[in-house]
Amino acid sequence: MTATLARARWRVGVEQAGALVTRSVVNTWRQPGSWIPSIVFPLMMAAVYSAQFERAIDLPGFPDVDSFVQFILPASILQGISFNAGEAGTELALDIESGFFDRLIASPVARQSILIGRMGGGAVFSGGLAAALMVVFALVGAPIEGGIVSAVAIVLIAAWLSLAIGGFSIAVALRTGSSEATQSLFPLTFMMIFVSSAFFPTGLMSGWYQSVAEVNPFTLIVDPTRRLALDGFSFADFGRALFWSGVVASVSLSLAYRMYLGRLRRS
Amino acid sequence: MRSPTPRTDPVSAFGPTVFEIGRRSLIRIVRMPAILVPTIVMPVFFVIGFTGSFEGVTRIEGFPTEDFINWVGPYALVQTAAFAGIGAAGTMATDLDNGFIDRLLVAPIRRSAIIFGPLAYTAMRALIPITLVLLLSIPQGGSLPGGLLGLFIAVVGGMGGALMLGSMGLAVVLRIGHIRAMAIVQIVAFAFLFPSIGQVPLPLLSGWLHTVARFNPATNLIRMTRQGFIGDVSWAETWPGLLVIAIGLGVFTGWARYELDQRAP
Repeated sequence: MTATLARARWRVGVEQAGALVTRSVVNTWRQPGSWIPSIVFPLMMAAVYSAQFERAIDLPGFPDVDSFVQFILPASILQGISFNAGEAGTELALDIESGFFDRLIASPVARQSILIGRMGGGAVFSGGLAAALMVVFALVGAPIEGGIVSAVAIVLIAAWLSLAIGGFSIAVALRTGSSEATQSLFPLTFMMIFVSSAFFPTGLMSGWYQSVAEVNPFTLIVDPTRRLALDGFSFADFGRALFWSGVVASVSLSLAYRMYLGRLRRS
Repeated sequence: MRSPTPRTDPVSAFGPTVFEIGRRSLIRIVRMPAILVPTIVMPVFFVIGFTGSFEGVTRIEGFPTEDFINWVGPYALVQTAAFAGIGAAGTMATDLDNGFIDRLLVAPIRRSAIIFGPLAYTAMRALIPITLVLLLSIPQGGSLPGGLLGLFIAVVGGMGGALMLGSMGLAVVLRIGHIRAMAIVQIVAFAFLFPSIGQVPLPLLSGWLHTVARFNPATNLIRMTRQGFIGDVSWAETWPGLLVIAIGLGVFTGWARYELDQRAP
């Protein structure tokens, strides 16, 4: 009897989480202003940087690529994800500001489903965003050399990484309940991406900046993802990207969960 | 018998009014230092981030300097000063919301003072990133072969960029009447400054960007600001930048004044 009840609760929790994930995705989709920058801004930067740094690919130490567009593909996906993941936190903060979050708490919804719903929605959207960006890059002459398997792997990495980055913005949203404060986190993420191998190879940097960039978790995620795109699928690179995303996720999601419990107590 | 109260002519009160409006905005900074955070963080990020990430491009044959900071520092100076200038739009949006601009519009002052007051504040505010970029460039290996004249021209370039974007921000805020105008002006600023000679010289740019950067007015402004960092100052590289500032200021302050008149009772 108890086991049946526990199974039923678990099932209801999953269904509720699924419904909240769907709500989150539909909500984001219906507000083009919140996701169009996630596509336009990375593409704009890719277009400008590829025209600026096209000659840099001939420099000794630069990875073997056909064009700078090909090199910058993972950076563009990372940028798009960080925009989108930040938006997940902002949306949660708006839910808190509008009182929707409190209504959810007061309703018979499994506590974990609320958090999973919001973050899962961001992850699904980020996976779709990565796929869309890869299609655009393929159209401008920078296809995924690893084929469909590498493309699927990159979509999965993007979704997983979205949880990792989104965890921080969710944590800030839960702590402050302010969409403005949550949005202010974006420049910090952008700086973290900049001080990595996303836009330029660390081998062509020098001094302390190079040291920091080499140990930046984003470098450890971007490099294997880039190899998946350029050299083809390998379990080692796929695993590395997932592992380091997991390391970031363990920090951000723990923080988000802690803030979530704090808000539940306050509510 | 009391002597008559001296009457202040609106025309002669222009300077003091501009000063007081500008001072009022500066007091806002003292009361809310948080609004200065992006103005301080951005220069640090641009100088350190751009130099650290892209210094390898100086190894490309034909790059005009070996120290990337001398190339990218002036770009960071113009960009951060311009973004600081957009802060004038934020002040105007707040003052529109709280009704201060409406009160100024019915006050016996020259209306242009309502535009030039925030611009005076913009000029003061722009000095923060300009100073920061110059100071941060020194430990990065920056040099100024153009000497004091090169430094002066760099400050003029940064200040000009701030005032242009500041006046554009004022015009857009007065048009829209909302703080969202700042985001619009930031995008416009980005769209001009990014596809220019900011990070790579014109001959090394390829494809569409070469054409866009060649005709982009931001290229002239950056070229003028940069010259003292990579060599001597010359009139040939100065006047196009000054022309861009003059035209930009003329057009945007005129537009802002027009929008202000539309709001007058």
